[in-house]
Amino acid sequence: MPGVDRGFPRPLDIVVTGLGAVTPFGWGVNALWDGARRGITAVGPFTRFDASRHRTHVAGQVPAGDDGKESSRRLSVADRFAVASAREAVASACLDLDSCRERTGVFFGSSAGGMLEGEWFFEAHIHRGTRHARRGLVASQQFNGPGDAVARAMGVSGQVETISSACASAAMAVGSALRALRRGDVDVALAGGSDALCQLTYGGFNALRSIDEAPSRPFRKDRMGLSLGEGAGVLVLETAAHAMARGAQPIAMLAGEASTCDAHHMTAPHPDGSGASSAIRLALLDAGVAPDDVDFVNAHGTGTPLNDAAEAAALKTVFGDRARSIPVTSTKALIGHLLGSAGAVEAVLTVLGLLLREVHPMPDTGALDPELGLDLVLGTPRALSRAACAISTSLAFGGANSVLVFTRQETA
Amino acid sequence: MKRPAAVLTGLGVVGAHGIGRASLQAALLAGRPIASEVDRSAGYHAADSSRLAGLVPKLDLARWLPPAEARRLSVPSRFAVAAARMALEDAGIASLDGRRVAVVLATAFGALLFTEKLVRQILEEGPESAQPFYFSECVANAAAARVAIALGARGANVTITEREAGPLLALARGAQEVREGRADLAIAGSADEMTELLHALLDRFRGTARAEGGREEAPRPFDAARNGVLAGEGAAVVVIEREDDAAARGARFLARVAVSGAAFDATAPVSDWGDGHTTLARALRAALARAGHGAETIDLIVSCASGARRGDRLEAATLAAAWGEARLPPVVTPKAVVGEYGGGLLAAAVLAAEGVPFGRPLAFETRDPSLSIAPHDGRPLAAPSRVLITALAAGGAAAWAVLERP
Repeated sequence: MPGVDRGFPRPLDIVVTGLGAVTPFGWGVNALWDGARRGITAVGPFTRFDASRHRTHVAGQVPAGDDGKESSRRLSVADRFAVASAREAVASACLDLDSCRERTGVFFGSSAGGMLEGEWFFEAHIHRGTRHARRGLVASQQFNGPGDAVARAMGVSGQVETISSACASAAMAVGSALRALRRGDVDVALAGGSDALCQLTYGGFNALRSIDEAPSRPFRKDRMGLSLGEGAGVLVLETAAHAMARGAQPIAMLAGEASTCDAHHMTAPHPDGSGASSAIRLALLDAGVAPDDVDFVNAHGTGTPLNDAAEAAALKTVFGDRARSIPVTSTKALIGHLLGSAGAVEAVLTVLGLLLREVHPMPDTGALDPELGLDLVLGTPRALSRAACAISTSLAFGGANSVLVFTRQETA
Repeated sequence: MKRPAAVLTGLGVVGAHGIGRASLQAALLAGRPIASEVDRSAGYHAADSSRLAGLVPKLDLARWLPPAEARRLSVPSRFAVAAARMALEDAGIASLDGRRVAVVLATAFGALLFTEKLVRQILEEGPESAQPFYFSECVANAAAARVAIALGARGANVTITEREAGPLLALARGAQEVREGRADLAIAGSADEMTELLHALLDRFRGTARAEGGREEAPRPFDAARNGVLAGEGAAVVVIEREDDAAARGARFLARVAVSGAAFDATAPVSDWGDGHTTLARALRAALARAGHGAETIDLIVSCASGARRGDRLEAATLAAAWGEARLPPVVTPKAVVGEYGGGLLAAAVLAAEGVPFGRPLAFETRDPSLSIAPHDGRPLAAPSRVLITALAAGGAAAWAVLERP
């Protein structure tokens, strides 16, 4: 990552010291940031499975990559994304895990785990009988597969917790890591999420008519639904005391988080966005910052008519008239909705936005929706005159909302 | 600043034993595995597979879940909503202001029946046949979301999926929600269903008990002849409140959540237990120490031992290492009765903390000489002051909690 002046946190703060990502833009954080800056969607035809009989035919697929020894092991696709991201994050944090294995936890989100491999098992079962269906395929199907795979690969023995709260899974996992660090349960957390494309989610969202036949256009007037994607993101989080003791340079601070629930409907957000606005307010309160301190928003921004309208309403509720002038972007417009790992990859980009003082754009396609009244970052990156605080929102199936607040001390 | 204490004020449970705490209490006292024949007609099972599971019988849940509401729910969602309402009634809460109510549920495998149906629709009949209803109910957080919708709970809504460790992680998270002031009340627990497919898969991993050597099929925690678990289903839900709040409304306290801790055994393979007892024991001791407790303050252990060969070995070795030269307190093994999954361990632990007696596990025959532990023989015990609950998951996750008498 480019060298940029970094702020100086207090010992009790929770800091971000490393980032890792595997996304449809490629393997690694640099590929993600470069792709995001270009503002051209990675969503398109894909080959992860045969989608010819599905209603739609585009998704954000991770390109083939060399993740070394991981690929030869019995890991699911989602596990491989997770482990590669974790290795990159730990390396970028210059973290020697030998010094803190028992005080390092893994907090991970996944919505589908290794469902892709579970489907391979089913296909074998259907076409060739149970005895020909390899049981190992199902072993990797578990929701906790990616998080456990990270802990196993990195050899850490602190708390490991997988959260499977649909599209808010990874954001909640990062939030859970923040709490565990504040309580002193762990000194270091590998927090993130991973999911791979699979027919269950692709077919399921299509059954709900939630997938756009074209790459998604969040917050645009002609938005028709989401695009699905796959990948993983991991943040190395530490207590500032731990980071300072080992001479690590914080990239940013994870200042606050909050979760709420709409308690309204399984698949539709509350139309007034009250659950989401409540989560944003509580997260800002947790971070000790005011709405006026927020410099940009990495929105959930799925591209479904209902989600984007509810989210815009939530932003207006919290930010008032400022909602029209805070830069808002949606990562999902570029790589698709990564479901259980979306919040992690979007957190990575939120941190990078603060670090590099720039908000990544969305593709500039489609008409603006004047009813939403948001300042969307379109086409080209938006340079920030102030980059001290940003939020990332994740709003899930079942009405679960999770918001993360990142801050970075402005240097003179 | 010292955090306020979190107390359990209500328990709701649905399991193979039936509905509610009384049926579970009776089952634990009887000590007999509650098992019934699994449907094997779909052809998933091998000819010599295990045949029994701790299946929830056809229960009349209408008092907790009207049929019109149940119709739209998956099996785990039904169990969870019914158990949540039961827990609130047990807590003496007739009406709930949901604005600051958190829901934290664990599930090991989610709504597998609906997942299987949806995958089959997509793969066999074609994606155009996929029913949206199955999809919205097969996400892992469907049960937690359904509980939130049913109760109007608008606090955090979290679903934890760490297999056998999930229920205790959910208990810990629920207690944290109220202790840290993020919620005034938390609904925490777990819900799972046991499908024909899951049972067959667990059997293929040699995870379920089988009839062997003239012994009938049964879970035998810590027994020399143990050869697998009784795969179960159900839900267990507790109501958690801050102690002062609960006292102010005159609530009955079931137990105080005194300690929670978690760790990971990186030696564990994906679907079995490892041999990292030394590391786990250190983590357990550290969790107790953080709360100002030593192992010597524990006077009953509600063990996760389930009859799994490697799992019970790891559990015994971890407890032995954690206690060192000190004498272990009595160890009870509720999974000998209620089986694995569905929250039976958590519910049994709450009852244990209340002083409910546990009978001798009837299937236990021969102590494993390689383990320094055997289940309690059923003799009456003094009501415990502090109960340690253990949860070691296949795959490596581990969690512990201590419940104490308020």
